[in-house]
Amino acid sequence: MASEAAKNRTILACMGDEDTITGMLLAGIGQVTNEPGKERNFQICTDDTKSEELLAKFEEFTTRDDIAILLINQHLADVIRLEVDSFTAPFPAILEIPSKDHPYDPEKDSVLRRVRRLFGDS
Amino acid sequence: MADTSRGWSADTRTRLSHYGNFLADINQTLSTSVIEQKLNKKLIEDFNYIKSQATYPLSKFMDYITYSYMIDNILLIITGTIHNRDKGEILKKCNPLGWFDTLPTLSITTDLNSLYETVLIDTPLAKYFHNCLSIDDLDDLNIEIIRNILYKEYLEDFYKFCLAELPNPTDEIMERLLSFEADKRTINICINSLDTDLSSDEKLKMLPSIGLLASNDAIKYQLSELSDLENLKILMSSVGPYKDFFNDSTSAGATSKSLEDSFYEYEMNLNRNAFTQQFTYSTIWAFIKSKEQEIRNITWISECIAQNQKDKINNYISVY
Amino acid sequence: MKIMKPISRALRRPEQVFPTRMTLGVMKGKLKGAQTGHSLLKRKSEALTKRFRDITKRIDDAKRKMGRVMQTAAFSLAEVSYATGGNIGFQVQESISNNARFKVKARQENVSGVYLPQFEADINESINDFRMTGLGRGGQQVQRAREVYSKAVETLVDLASLQTAFVILDDVIKVTNRRVNAIEHVIIPRTENTIAYINSELDELDREEFYRLKKVQEKKQIATAAADAEMAAKKLREEAERLNELEKHETEDVEKLVVKSEEDKEDKGEADQEKTVDTTELVAETEGDVIF
Repeated sequence: MASEAAKNRTILACMGDEDTITGMLLAGIGQVTNEPGKERNFQICTDDTKSEELLAKFEEFTTRDDIAILLINQHLADVIRLEVDSFTAPFPAILEIPSKDHPYDPEKDSVLRRVRRLFGDS
Repeated sequence: MADTSRGWSADTRTRLSHYGNFLADINQTLSTSVIEQKLNKKLIEDFNYIKSQATYPLSKFMDYITYSYMIDNILLIITGTIHNRDKGEILKKCNPLGWFDTLPTLSITTDLNSLYETVLIDTPLAKYFHNCLSIDDLDDLNIEIIRNILYKEYLEDFYKFCLAELPNPTDEIMERLLSFEADKRTINICINSLDTDLSSDEKLKMLPSIGLLASNDAIKYQLSELSDLENLKILMSSVGPYKDFFNDSTSAGATSKSLEDSFYEYEMNLNRNAFTQQFTYSTIWAFIKSKEQEIRNITWISECIAQNQKDKINNYISVY
Repeated sequence: MKIMKPISRALRRPEQVFPTRMTLGVMKGKLKGAQTGHSLLKRKSEALTKRFRDITKRIDDAKRKMGRVMQTAAFSLAEVSYATGGNIGFQVQESISNNARFKVKARQENVSGVYLPQFEADINESINDFRMTGLGRGGQQVQRAREVYSKAVETLVDLASLQTAFVILDDVIKVTNRRVNAIEHVIIPRTENTIAYINSELDELDREEFYRLKKVQEKKQIATAAADAEMAAKKLREEAERLNELEKHETEDVEKLVVKSEEDKEDKGEADQEKTVDTTELVAETEGDVIF
């Protein structure tokens, strides 16, 4: 089933503030191509970025077939929490990561909340 | 986190009274970037205030100071043009200190050719481009190489200007400062290019021809030929002022006091000494540079507090 | 773990089958299969759940670890801006090439027949888009930040594997549990009901068959009785004739006797008929060999 789909998913994508993106790009996850729909695998989102834009990018990254992992700053995930919560497909894996100005809060994480729901509070 | 951030923001607000009410109108949670932004704004205001009162040769001197920021801005535009980015966005990222009237016109050019023409005709940096870079270079060379070539040209030009146009105490002080700036760049370029495949010719093109290291042809040549950090250390041990820098920086950036820190500290000492002479233009330079260092320090400290790294909070450069 | 909804009685109703002995055999086989399947699936579900709990615990830890790692990484970036005295974000974005240095490879791991992808960092060291970044100043810090972030992303990749495994396992366990429950609460009761139904139908058939045989028996009995009576009458007649020959003067009396015995026979037949219905058991005992 899902195993087949996983084979072609090799790159990571990232949505975050400028510092997060810079860091991720330094690590080398960036990939810029001319292929339509796959130009850039990262998106800088500021406080001015509208939720519709976030949503559109989120859709784009989650529907691309070459992305294995989508990293998203938690404070951005909060803006589109409903969509993040309702995305349950195994691929791409969505990871909520902290940003410099917004430390990580496990209580908000979609996956961790699912974990908690299943096991009470373990 | 929210608590601590509110705590330290209040703290920072009160302690930085020197900057007046610069943080007074921030309603949102105070973040490091906001502090940095505001500090920079204050610096620019101060700079422009002095500049508006300046007459020749101080006005020219201050122009020269802005040139280094212009280099960064122009390179920003060049990068943007190569990658077809939104020019409005790029203009916002430009350093206001390096702002010049024709900068926006640069941003409307769409291809490298016209950009090159415009740079050659319209900007104060035209002479630097003209001397050393052709239109093809813009396309082929890495942007960092262009930056360093331009910077080298700029340093040399500034140096010449200082010696030729400025009265006595200033030119001496500026000679010291600029020589050190040149040496700092030389060493940095050499270290940072160790892992790259830059040829020694290419390196030589970027190394300024002024400064202590450049005055000795043998050293300069050896620098461009360096293959590892150890050799650099050996080489530097023969150069008076810099030999101590490499003693405690065993490997790149690994020790508490990095090479970069040593440079900054030395530079700040030079700047502080620049204040000891009265009635010099170099005071302006020292003031700007010290202010910049201050901004870096404040940013560093805020960063340390914001990220709970208080054990590193003292790793800033303080000479005053 | 989950609260079961009460299962509708309709689901457990016997299946629509012909109540034959063959169907009974099939149903018994089905019940056995369902029970075996149930225990197997239950064991699978337990194995997966064990793994699942393990993973969720590790996710919890890894997420917390990530918080720290990312903070360290962010701090290394702060060191870069301190050294370069500016923001390198834009430069970095513009030096991205068309091939990522940091990619992931997916490896498969088999847990009780479920394939869990395991991401592995796949770093191509020959690609370095930022070799020149910070050439003039801060280059060392840039390279260091690069390493720190690479480490951080590796942690993230591990976490992503766990998380994907979590999502997949969650799904598979749900499906398996649903199957276990379906077998336990629907298929097994239904099959049992079907078997009971077939048995009752077969019993009913048996009873009908028994009654039929009974009837046949009865008819036979009547016939036998009639034959017996006739035989007796015949005997009597023969006797009478013999007596006639012996005592010819008693002829009238003998004729009377014959008539009387015939009347008796008829009375006895009626009484017999009534008695059969009441004494089915008794007859069944005595004539069991006919029926079974």
